[in-house]
Amino acid sequence: MTVPTSLLASIPPYILLAFAALAVLALPRRAGHAVAALATAFTFAQAVLLGDGGTGAHLATTFLGFDVVFFNVDQFSLLMGVVVGFLATAAVLYAYGSEAPTWVTAFALTYVATTLGTIYAGDWLTLIFFWELTAVTSTLLVWQHGGAAVRAGYRYALFHGTGGTILLAAVVVHFVNAGTFLFSETVGIHPAAAVLAAVGIGINCGFIFLHSWLPDTYPRPHVAASVFLSVFTTKTAAYVMYRAFPEGGMWLAYLGGFMAVYGAFFALLQYDPRRLLSYHIQAQLGYMLAGFGLATAVGEFAVVGGFAHLFNNVLYKSLLFMAVGVVVYRTGVEDIREMGGLWRVMPVTFLVYLVGAASITAVPGFNGFISKGMVLDSAHEVHEYVLLLDSGLLWWLLVLGGVGTFMSFIKLGYYMFFHGSATLSPDDATPFQTVGMLLAAGACVFFGVFYTQLIELMPFTDLILSDEVYFKPYSRSHLVESAALLVAGFAGFFALKRPLGWLAHRMPDVDAVLFPAAFYLGRGSVWGVTELWAAVDRATMALAGATMRTATSPRETLSRAGVDTEIRAGIGRSVLFLTLAAGVALFASLLL
Amino acid sequence: MIDVLLPLAVVVPIVAATLPLALGLRYDRVGWPIAAVGTTAVAGIAAAIAAEVVVNGPFDHALGGFLPPVGIELVADRLSVAVLLLVAAVSVATLAFARVAGPRGNPFYSAYLLLVGGLVGMVLTGDLFNLFVFLEITGLTTYALIASDRSGASAYASLKYLVVGTVGASLYLLGVGYVFLATGTLNMLDVQAQIVAQAGYGDPLVRASYAFIVTGLALKIAIFPVHSWQPDAYQRAPDSVTTVVAALVSTTSAYALIRVTYTVFTVDFLAANEGIATALLVVSTVSIVAGSALAAMQSNLKRMFAYSSVAQFGMIGAAVALANETALLGGIVHLIGHGIMKFGLFLGIGLLALGYGSRQMSDLASAARAAPYTSGAVAVLGLGLVGIPPSIGFLGKWYIGVGAVDAGLAGGGAVGIAVAAAIFVSTLFTLSYVARLIERFYFAGAGLPGDHGEIFGDRGDDDAATDGGDAAAVGGRNESPAKTADGLPAPVEGAPRSWLVPDRVPTAPLLALGLAVLATVALGFGGFALAEWFGPFLAEVFA
Repeated sequence: MTVPTSLLASIPPYILLAFAALAVLALPRRAGHAVAALATAFTFAQAVLLGDGGTGAHLATTFLGFDVVFFNVDQFSLLMGVVVGFLATAAVLYAYGSEAPTWVTAFALTYVATTLGTIYAGDWLTLIFFWELTAVTSTLLVWQHGGAAVRAGYRYALFHGTGGTILLAAVVVHFVNAGTFLFSETVGIHPAAAVLAAVGIGINCGFIFLHSWLPDTYPRPHVAASVFLSVFTTKTAAYVMYRAFPEGGMWLAYLGGFMAVYGAFFALLQYDPRRLLSYHIQAQLGYMLAGFGLATAVGEFAVVGGFAHLFNNVLYKSLLFMAVGVVVYRTGVEDIREMGGLWRVMPVTFLVYLVGAASITAVPGFNGFISKGMVLDSAHEVHEYVLLLDSGLLWWLLVLGGVGTFMSFIKLGYYMFFHGSATLSPDDATPFQTVGMLLAAGACVFFGVFYTQLIELMPFTDLILSDEVYFKPYSRSHLVESAALLVAGFAGFFALKRPLGWLAHRMPDVDAVLFPAAFYLGRGSVWGVTELWAAVDRATMALAGATMRTATSPRETLSRAGVDTEIRAGIGRSVLFLTLAAGVALFASLLL
Repeated sequence: MIDVLLPLAVVVPIVAATLPLALGLRYDRVGWPIAAVGTTAVAGIAAAIAAEVVVNGPFDHALGGFLPPVGIELVADRLSVAVLLLVAAVSVATLAFARVAGPRGNPFYSAYLLLVGGLVGMVLTGDLFNLFVFLEITGLTTYALIASDRSGASAYASLKYLVVGTVGASLYLLGVGYVFLATGTLNMLDVQAQIVAQAGYGDPLVRASYAFIVTGLALKIAIFPVHSWQPDAYQRAPDSVTTVVAALVSTTSAYALIRVTYTVFTVDFLAANEGIATALLVVSTVSIVAGSALAAMQSNLKRMFAYSSVAQFGMIGAAVALANETALLGGIVHLIGHGIMKFGLFLGIGLLALGYGSRQMSDLASAARAAPYTSGAVAVLGLGLVGIPPSIGFLGKWYIGVGAVDAGLAGGGAVGIAVAAAIFVSTLFTLSYVARLIERFYFAGAGLPGDHGEIFGDRGDDDAATDGGDAAAVGGRNESPAKTADGLPAPVEGAPRSWLVPDRVPTAPLLALGLAVLATVALGFGGFALAEWFGPFLAEVFA
């Protein structure tokens, strides 16, 4: 290695990206994006070059009297750094090709910077700091688009503000109990803070019922912004979830299983392509959380499965958002029923979409096949609530989610690229969009074929590749499983197309209740506080007025009450008082 | 020979008091210069005594060469010097006001000098009976001074004070007689020793003696419910007399209470007779609340601050009865601070009355626009009285409050906490009437948007008529208040002008007022210095 590790380790990448964000604003568009791409590429290269040799707690210092680590490099943060750096580079190129305003790219870079800060944090204090900043920067990125994105961005901010505050409470409780913020001192978050941490991180993870910001927000901003948004917040949350619960837990695994089904099911009902993809974020996070949750029950294999899926998901999910983004960008249409037949006019986009869809649906030869297979294998070893085929509930949930994923991507592809005659004839992707997409698509195929490279990037590499663990993704059973999923997906989609269409107009998600509830609760509390304040004010003023009147004319008040007396003591009464006082004093002194 | 300063401080004003009368036979307006020279001399002597005490510690002087315990001695220590300096400074400063505001005439200045002599004597004496003599000198001259503007209302107030004051002084004398019976001596330090040697703290004679002395002094201090002479006296007396009486007479009586309690009877006596201490504490606490509440009801400024004094001296009485070091320090600091603040407040009210013809709060709407400097000084002093830091008013209350809480926590039980609560309540009351004053001065009046300058309340409800049929107006209170074209209080005809400020007030008293404000604020920064200054005294009595 020619570049000394110590030098690399002394440059926190998020500082560099923050400067790059300023450069984007200051420089002409082309030069600014070039700087941005170089900066993101540097973070990628830095993570790759640091590799296993560069692990350690860099930039460890004290901040506000607490021990903190600003640049914590270990197996987990490294793989996050690699994929975030890589994808951010692709996304910057894509943004340049999509005529994204410089403000979008600048906000996106600060967003990436804060994400990297969260990833490379070596302690909970640094983590929560960047976590909150991420919420701010991502909200700005949404808001920049204006229009419908503003209200959605406001809801997004409310969600993440709440989540951040809960996580902050968890961190405080953790510190009170553990006495340190450092990751290295404890295993995960302190049990006393577990529920707070689960909910706080869970909001960003898109837990069921806490997920409604996801499909609400991600379809609305600029297409390039969607690409950034789709990968960083949620995946970082999954990563932090592992940091908080490295030993997993079956509650997390089952939650993941249900998220996979829930997300895939609601995705099936969508006609807005980016909204459909947003629901799939929830579904895919379900697979990751299922992997992390099985850390104790199954072992490191499940954790690696979760992380591999996280890694791959960043690639193919952003790839899908890019492809869909190209269509939206070229046609200006955001309803897949109004598209159709586009495969002829947008062959590149179509191909790229195929790669992404094949990856997310785990078609052999693409990276999703490897990682989803690992998670499914792990789930297969859990024999709780056995249903059919000697497999437990968790496995069936994940498989069902897989079928749903197949169906929804068949639906998406069918409506966008086939589905009747072409009514629109847009151009294909711009060159820079194509470059960005090809980068991501290439990675998807590469890791699907050369899967040992994927494992190399993962933690516990030696364990996975050793003989003790059965890791043969292209074994017959896996291929059969995949083919079964594929067939079920096809059959399911065309069989259920009509009922699903019927359901799509009638099936409300939780936001149908949640948003009005939050709105009226907010309005009610504002009204209540205002009225309460007014009532207190009126009462205080009335009391003060009465007191003033009584105090300034006590005799008048007395006479109104029917008493007409002289308040003042004359000479005689004064002497009487004095005599009485002397008597009382004598009494007190002699008898008490 | 430095100890000769002590008799000199007493003798100079008393001898000087004869001069205005004597020279008055030949010269008309000789009183003021003589009083000025006399009080200035007292101030100089006081400064010299203070310097000596600071450098060489407390010292004494046996009068006429008769050595104590048989002879009378004068003593200066840190406590008496502090009060002595207050007496000297206020008596000089008040003269500046009296020169403009009157009352005029040589007999007034004779009485004034005699009052100063009496006060100085009370502060310096080391003998219980001698203290009674000076108490009577002070009392008699005060009666005379209150009536010195010859109006009916002030004559009545003076007579009231005369009767109850005489009874009070008699009670004090009775107490001194009892303790003389018990110990056979009158010298303070000797009594302290002889109580232990001959009688013991439980002796009924000693206890009754203390009860009479405290009651007599309480009357002079004007603690509720034996305060009733005081509001009339303060309100009806001429402004310059109120200024000096309010600042000094009750203050020296309270000084006497501290002196008698801690030097003669000692803190051990209080500890041995919890009933007495508790009774004093309860009465003081009631005084704090009642005085504040009564003050908040007044619309005449002089009467308002007169009642305020009842509350403030209640705090000092409570500090004495709490018998711990912090509280007593607070009591002493508040004693001095209250003297300074009341001097300034009554001087400010007197100046406004002189320039604008009214002491009624309602007539003085927008006074701050007509007389910004005087009003500002009154406002600052009022806030000091509330206890807003930095001011000496805050320090005194703070130390007393902390001492009360300490006593409560140390086993004094509910009473200590009740005192602290009473101080808090009193502070709120004080804030209410001071805020009303500031609102009148600054925010009420004509020509302001949302004008609420109409006269509120019935201006007659505080009238002299309720006091015995004497409807003679004081300071034109029954005339409708004159207003200028833009609604400000109009200056009275021939009101003095200052070359310094727009206020229609004389310059020299305004400067004195300014000094009082400065002292109030500056001493507010001197918490540690004050604690250090009184440290030796406190260490001695709590030894």
